[in-house]
Amino acid sequence: MKRYFRELSVLGVLGLLLALLAWRAPDFYQPQPLLSLLTREAPSLVVACGMALVIMTRQIDISVGSQFSVCSVVAGVLAAKGVPLYGVLPLAVALGSVLGAMNGVLVAGLGLPSIVVTLATMVALRQALNLVRQGEFVNLPDGLQWLGQNQSVGQMILLGFALLVLVCLAWALRNLAAGRHVYAVGSDAESARLAGIRPQRVTFRAFLLLGALTGLAAVMNIVQSPQVQPLSGMGLELKVIAAAVVGGVAISGGRGTLWGVLAGLLLLACVSPAMIHLRIEAYWEKAIQGGIILLAVVAEGFRNRRSTLF
Amino acid sequence: MSTPASKPLWKSILFRHETLLLLVLVLEWWFFYVYGTTTNRRGMVVGFGTLDRQFDILRHSCEIGLLALALTPIILTAGIDLSVGSLLGLCAVVFGYLAHDSGFPVPVAAALTLLLGAAAGGVNAGLITTLRLPPLIVTLGTYSLFRGLAEALTRGSVTYTDFSAGFLFLGQERWAGLPVQAWVFFGVAAGIWLLVHRSMAGRSFRVVGFAPEGARFAGLSVGRHVALVYVLAGLVAAIAALIYTARLGQAKADAGTGYELFAITAVVLGGTSIFGGRGSVTGTLLGVAAIAVLKNGLATLPVVIRMNAAEEMAGLLTGVLLILALAGSKLSGLLLSAWKRLMVSARQTASSCA
Repeated sequence: MKRYFRELSVLGVLGLLLALLAWRAPDFYQPQPLLSLLTREAPSLVVACGMALVIMTRQIDISVGSQFSVCSVVAGVLAAKGVPLYGVLPLAVALGSVLGAMNGVLVAGLGLPSIVVTLATMVALRQALNLVRQGEFVNLPDGLQWLGQNQSVGQMILLGFALLVLVCLAWALRNLAAGRHVYAVGSDAESARLAGIRPQRVTFRAFLLLGALTGLAAVMNIVQSPQVQPLSGMGLELKVIAAAVVGGVAISGGRGTLWGVLAGLLLLACVSPAMIHLRIEAYWEKAIQGGIILLAVVAEGFRNRRSTLF
Repeated sequence: MSTPASKPLWKSILFRHETLLLLVLVLEWWFFYVYGTTTNRRGMVVGFGTLDRQFDILRHSCEIGLLALALTPIILTAGIDLSVGSLLGLCAVVFGYLAHDSGFPVPVAAALTLLLGAAAGGVNAGLITTLRLPPLIVTLGTYSLFRGLAEALTRGSVTYTDFSAGFLFLGQERWAGLPVQAWVFFGVAAGIWLLVHRSMAGRSFRVVGFAPEGARFAGLSVGRHVALVYVLAGLVAAIAALIYTARLGQAKADAGTGYELFAITAVVLGGTSIFGGRGSVTGTLLGVAAIAVLKNGLATLPVVIRMNAAEEMAGLLTGVLLILALAGSKLSGLLLSAWKRLMVSARQTASSCA
């Protein structure tokens, strides 16, 4: 109980918000809009799982938004050129892996600070994309939308995909040696090294996995609409980092669960529809999300007030 | 700064990061001077090599330069502030609201804006010092919060314009030969240089950046010094907001979006270690100049003008430059220590043979 206090408290807040909506705005619970909301968040969940792993190793990657955009546009262009879905998907994942590996080499291989490296790759990738594409939209062929199924089946498949990623990663983190290494490296890289783990390799793999998941998420996103917007990944990094932090992944590494990330993401995702249903002006969205991040961080701060170095 | 006294003076000056950066800056300037200057149809010289363009560069780099100056002491204490760009936006719209809608006289509105900046910096400082939270995540939260408040205040669309001529003087006119905001910029730069390089507090920032625990055991009030740099950053961001508003003659919620990146790049390019404890204000100024010349110089190259891609090229090159600067300092450090180890072992073999 005490061990999962953070996760449970996020669930509690989410429950409160849902109860408030049930009381004040029962419209929120119509099945089709709710399903659409969840499907829209499915790609974010996939990226958030990868981000949680990176944060658990005590790093951060703020270039995922740009990686997402690059993968989306490249996948879109490939699809428009007639490459079928089962060709587009692995290619997008491979491209994401390459981008993730680039960050991984710079951070784990050269020992550069991840925040600055990924700040640089964020801008470099975004501007390279703008330079090549000049902000052009990509029109997708008909067969691609909803994976060629009708809408509700496609939505179910996407949700299933996201949940599968979540369950597999959560299981691996808990039960596989590779998963335990992530926690070990994040808690104390030096002790982990002395225990025979190679921290740099674990960190590199976390970045690689995040890149691959971002590529997967990009494909999961483009099949939801007839066009690819090059700006679709803008601000994604903030959203998934917020989801991880709100869900109890410690920014100082070594702590957190993917179930908490799921609860955090759902909480953040419900904010904007809740605002519409509760008749709060939409301009407040960013401020409220920032407020939620700060609240989560403050809660974290009170919990381990004595333990952090200053 | 950290060179041992045994090194000869010329060596310590020549191999300093700042000297190399100055060399890069001069080369960069020369490149754009040669390739970015053209004559138009009427035979007038246009492009990079004109005095007007040089003043433009100065004018355009003041806001990012101010943010970079504000970030230098923060990064010296091994902290980071991602919220300065958002705070610039918030201060700009609050100033616009106060001066335009509420009808406050401009000096009062400006003073209130500076107060707001310092208070917002105080929010960061309070969360970071009293709750001992990591600066990265606190300022990521306020990055979102400040920008969100700016958007909420203007309902995403209101733009404040029609400022008095006296206020616009700050951003659009020249005084004693230079753009007015350049004087403000140099004033703030001198102030922060004095603080960082010529005061007890500045020395304490480095100590805190090197070893916070050690600083505490040495009797420094770590919290107070850390709080000082964040409040100062908020204040300087508010000054930058006033200059931004005066230069463009308008205040919008998206003012200063992405500026934090260029500011951090300038500081890191200037040789300040992102891990804290090492760095200089002079380096930051050179870093700001290098980025400003790159950004404006690209816009004068005929190739780039034809492609209509000045902003994209500047962003791409800045990102690459930042990675190269980081990787370069790391790699040269590794090579140097490997070389030293080699020399030491060679000497040992030599002495054991003898």
